[in-house]
Amino acid sequence: MDNIPELLCDEREMNAAVERLAEDIGKVLAPHPGDGALVGIHQQGVPLAERINAVLKEKSGFEPDFGTLDISMYRDDIGNRSRLPLIRETRIPFDVNDKLIILVDDVLSSGRTIRAALDALTDYGRPRLIRLAVLVDRGEPEFPIRADFIGMKFAVPPDHKIQVRFETDPDGSPGIYDIKWPKR
Amino acid sequence: MQWTRKDLLSLYDLSGDEITYILDTAEEFKKVSERRVKKVPALRGKTVVNFFVEPSTRTRVSFELAEQRLSADIVNMQAQASSLLKGETLLDTVKNIEALQVDLVVMRHSAPGAQAFIARNLSCGVVNAGDGAHSHPTQALMDIFTIREKKGRIAGLNVTIVGDIIHSRVARSNIWGLLKLGANVTVAGPATMVPREFESIGVRTCTNLAEALEGADVVNMLRIQRERQTAGFFPSTGEYAKFFGLNHDRMKYLKPDALVMHPGPINRDIELTGDIADGPNSVILEQVTNGLAIRMAVLYLVGCVKK
Repeated sequence: MDNIPELLCDEREMNAAVERLAEDIGKVLAPHPGDGALVGIHQQGVPLAERINAVLKEKSGFEPDFGTLDISMYRDDIGNRSRLPLIRETRIPFDVNDKLIILVDDVLSSGRTIRAALDALTDYGRPRLIRLAVLVDRGEPEFPIRADFIGMKFAVPPDHKIQVRFETDPDGSPGIYDIKWPKR
Repeated sequence: MQWTRKDLLSLYDLSGDEITYILDTAEEFKKVSERRVKKVPALRGKTVVNFFVEPSTRTRVSFELAEQRLSADIVNMQAQASSLLKGETLLDTVKNIEALQVDLVVMRHSAPGAQAFIARNLSCGVVNAGDGAHSHPTQALMDIFTIREKKGRIAGLNVTIVGDIIHSRVARSNIWGLLKLGANVTVAGPATMVPREFESIGVRTCTNLAEALEGADVVNMLRIQRERQTAGFFPSTGEYAKFFGLNHDRMKYLKPDALVMHPGPINRDIELTGDIADGPNSVILEQVTNGLAIRMAVLYLVGCVKK
């Protein structure tokens, strides 16, 4: 069976990568107290952003503003899916104008999600800057989009999916997995 | 659950989960209208035809605004200007519309089932904006959305619908949706307009307003069409208001925090008095606001699913 998830990285390594991400993000946001914000992209970018936020608070004692973003309304594959998943909550409880925003997602793959997220976020206002933090960079973007903060890099074949699981997820033990996942 | 339907024809067809799914989706679309940029690109590049074979202002404007906020391209067709008047059949008319590569048809028609008929014959999506006395799903969805938003739930609530039940697509759609979500539904009005047969679908019928309002969490006062008077369903609007109008005195039967609803347009001092329509229990204008969010959600779902 080649669709059994293969463990790429265990929970301990994953958590260490989250801590490194938080540390690097902290260095960028620290000189601008009150202006920084983390925005997690659904689905797995949200729990990742929450973890980064928790580490930031614990290690450096500061807490940026926090938001969540669902990009369903901004996708570029409209009409190509026979099933639509439920739109999750977009919550931007702060003024986006002039903010330093760190977009957070679990995996940077094609870059299409990030393209959509940039459109969605800028409909809320005009941030001073937007940076991208990802836990895993697959290194194969289809768009000219790169991450500014990268937890780790994995190269997997195009018909594979990298899945990030946190301890709060229902589907098995935490870690980063490689699953054969033919593109539909 | 994931959405798979290309049409929205009637709440009768949907499961309780599907109805809840539309309501949840509408919550996110409601926020779009509260943003600085009140528009998303969800239907960019899609064309929607609003085909109103029966006149409508409110519903058409609400659909049109919803389509604009989803970035769709819009064509409006009205019966007066359509070739139906020249003898073309409905199916030929909509086949011609589809041949122009449109993606969605939003239709109002006086014949019950007209949208289901064209949906079976078209590959593009179809949204029912009212078919005769049969169904008006987006109106019921916005009413149910408003109730859920205010009360936090639907299951177990006592909802009373008052008025011309027999001729009302709004009543039927509300009944189907509310029952599927577990509400207790009472319909009330003059016996000529509230046949006992409705009890067979699981609602209580009542011809005494006080009894119908007792303990209600929500009351939905339907619009009375004056032409029903000449048809003999009730003797006069004055008498209707006397027996079935909601006024200050009759509010005492309702729970203190009950919601007063009306699908509009209101006949002030007939279905309800002005002070009640404008009073603290009234959510009539919120229904209108929520209607936009519901229509955005419905158009998004049927417009984005693969055909």
